[in-house]
Amino acid sequence: MTFTPTELEVEGAQGGEAARDNAPPSPPASGRRLARAFLKDRAALACSVYILLVLLMALAAPLIVKLSGWGPYEFDQSAVDPDMAGLPLGAAGGMGAEHWFGVEPGSGRDIFARIVYGARVSMTIALSATVLTSVLGVVFGLTAGYFGGKVDMVVSRVMEFLMAFPALIFMIAVLSALPAENRQFLLVGVISFFGWPYLARIVRGQTMSLKEREFVEAAKASGASSGQIIFKEILPNLASTIIVMTTLAVPGYVGTEAGLSFLGVGVVPPTPSWGQMIASSVPWYAVDPAYFLIPGACLFLLVLSFTVLGDRIRRLAETGGARA
Amino acid sequence: MIKKATSAAAAAAATALLLTACTGGPSDSTGGAGDDPVAGGTVHMLQNADFSYLDPARGFDGGVNAFYRLIYRGLTMQAAGDAEDPNAIVPDLAESLGTASEDGLTWTYTLKDGLKFDNGDPITAAEVEFGISRAWDPEIGIGSPWLKQTVDAPEDYAGPYQSGDHPGIETPDEHTIVFHLIEPFPEFDNVLAQPNAVPFPVGSGAGDEFINDVIASGPYTLDTYTPGSLIKLVRNEHWDADTDDVRKAYPDAWEFEIGLEAATIDERLLAGQGTDVNAIAGKIQAATLPRVQTPELQDRLIASPAFCTTYMGMNTTKAPFDQVEVRQAVNYALDRASIQTASGGTQLADPATTIIPTAVSGHKDFDLYPSEDYAGDPAKALELLAEVGLEDGFSFVLDIRAQPSMQAQAEAVQEALKAINVEVELNVIDTSTYYETIGTPSQQSDAAITGWCPDWASSASTMVPPLVDGRLITEKGNTNLAQLDDAAVNARIDEIKAIADLAEANVQWGEFDEEVMALAPMAPLVLEKGLFLPGANIAGYHPSTSMTDLAIIGLKDPSQG
Repeated sequence: MTFTPTELEVEGAQGGEAARDNAPPSPPASGRRLARAFLKDRAALACSVYILLVLLMALAAPLIVKLSGWGPYEFDQSAVDPDMAGLPLGAAGGMGAEHWFGVEPGSGRDIFARIVYGARVSMTIALSATVLTSVLGVVFGLTAGYFGGKVDMVVSRVMEFLMAFPALIFMIAVLSALPAENRQFLLVGVISFFGWPYLARIVRGQTMSLKEREFVEAAKASGASSGQIIFKEILPNLASTIIVMTTLAVPGYVGTEAGLSFLGVGVVPPTPSWGQMIASSVPWYAVDPAYFLIPGACLFLLVLSFTVLGDRIRRLAETGGARA
Repeated sequence: MIKKATSAAAAAAATALLLTACTGGPSDSTGGAGDDPVAGGTVHMLQNADFSYLDPARGFDGGVNAFYRLIYRGLTMQAAGDAEDPNAIVPDLAESLGTASEDGLTWTYTLKDGLKFDNGDPITAAEVEFGISRAWDPEIGIGSPWLKQTVDAPEDYAGPYQSGDHPGIETPDEHTIVFHLIEPFPEFDNVLAQPNAVPFPVGSGAGDEFINDVIASGPYTLDTYTPGSLIKLVRNEHWDADTDDVRKAYPDAWEFEIGLEAATIDERLLAGQGTDVNAIAGKIQAATLPRVQTPELQDRLIASPAFCTTYMGMNTTKAPFDQVEVRQAVNYALDRASIQTASGGTQLADPATTIIPTAVSGHKDFDLYPSEDYAGDPAKALELLAEVGLEDGFSFVLDIRAQPSMQAQAEAVQEALKAINVEVELNVIDTSTYYETIGTPSQQSDAAITGWCPDWASSASTMVPPLVDGRLITEKGNTNLAQLDDAAVNARIDEIKAIADLAEANVQWGEFDEEVMALAPMAPLVLEKGLFLPGANIAGYHPSTSMTDLAIIGLKDPSQG
């Protein structure tokens, strides 16, 4: 939920340094060899399959709920017991042929449909925030690292300010003060605003070391412009770092969105979101554990998948597929 | 202000219609471990939120009003929670209820003998006048507005600390106190039962003096106060039971444990371990209901009817709610059964079709927008919309509080109105600024869901008028969310308020309720009842969703816990 740099990110920074010493400046391994190594890695494969499944769910949500028969907003009063505070009828929170994952207490809304639509929210926000932070992080990191001097000082101070800022508290305050419309855009904006310095710092560090290398000197000597050097010489060498960092950032943003929704400042109801589902299931944990377990498990698996996948990709990138 | 009493934590409240438990009266008391309260022990109250203020001139909500009853006394008070009519007003410090003059403008009360504060000083007419006049202090008098609205005072009177004696209250001798009113107010006894009409020693309580300490006149006084965590009350040795017909004050002490999560409170009451056998709390959460089905817990469970109506106010100044057909169509289309389930089901809520709740005097049973099993009648609603050319629907913004139960209600409204092509956009507002936002006409959206409770349940005069009186629309703190300003409605309010016969007035309020609902400025949604789970050793407990009478609660066996 917060943006504390993880162990992985710190390692990532060091990994970059290490890569400089023992890897040639060109991409370290052929794509085919990496793909083969990746396919042999069962954990990475399982994670990718789950992530693809969630992505598919998010993309095809309207079709899937047509298949299951219940929309995410449809009330089903016949599935809950009004005499028992709206507890779902039947075992395991009303799971069965009618409602695959059971129903929500009180309203009788279909949990499967809400999970499917909730995946949309989680994925949209997490992926958009990742794209935005990556762009910001790379641009500012490259600029600061390459030009150095005053530019570097300004960018670095801004990054330090943002990283030292109590981001979560600020996000809650901003989101509860701003009007509720377009909450998804706001969430992406706020998350990205505090998220980009983590990538930018690493990019800056690597750029600073790369720009001293011979091939950059050579490019400079042959009259290449700054833009050419940045985009043609330095950026390709940052590719593996950026891929690793962004993959590792996604689970953080999935968690942040869920956390903000859990705290009641996320997406506006009745739009389903996993974090919101977990929040509303808390009082029901004792009598309807399924209501808590399903969104909890989905969220856990998604975060775990992205984290494991990011970790595996990092290892592959470092070793060039020699060992996975 | 009083609307806040509907929030879950503050629902710990008063005048109960007794439904179960506590069989028989004092006559069949057998002593020992019977079912009747005996003197001694400590009663624990578990609650989430701290009381708003210890100073009764400042605090004004269901939870704190119940607490004030233990430490303060007024000239009159609401009857005991186990009385035949717990909504009734009975004398407290006064010998009898007030005597009004012929023109209804002068009310006279006579004090009992032997009344004392917790410091031993006597309570005379001067102290009563002083305590009551604190309500006019601009900084302190932020509680119940009724004294200021009824007792005659010069425009520039600013309380005893700034302006001295109250010109509208006379004290001809030590035992007599006379009030001069702005205009006749037949229910003036109710005004003096408000929490801010209590005596204080002359000159005390200026500024923040009563923020952390109090001068008690009731059976208990403050022992320790740790804001946000603990309030401990011990007996006030100077309180004389012979002067008090209502308060029983069985336990030797009270402990209010504050800052507990609602779920934690329910868990502790379910488990009932240690001192929790002597504990009470506000109403249980909906999710706890399925867990209280064992015979032992069912025995302890006590139900209380609703004193508040949860409703959706429709802003009549904004299109399309400026058309009565649209507002009526919404009333027809709402699926109150699903809103009921969303509010906790049949045991915790009833569908509401009237503004006045069933438990409040003056309630008249009617349903102008009927449907089978309260499930809504979209066909009828569409007919009405077609009359004004809106059969293709419209969309509006609904203000709701960021609170799960209210969101569930709003989602049920949203779902039901889809059937008549009406799209509802929810505007979730933070709990702390919610009432401020919807009470400011320039900021409120097309509609809002909120609750309203009467300031006293013996009459509907504080139930309907604040919601529909067009002359009460203010720039801030507005209660007329519909912003209905209808000359006929306003005139009718004046007409009923002038009726001196309170029983007749209540009949008229019931009629008035129906007349207002024909205009449909709001859609009553549900009446949220309460289920309370006291500890096994608690007796004499008559919980209420409005204000629980704490003064008659005791322990069956003080040696337990």
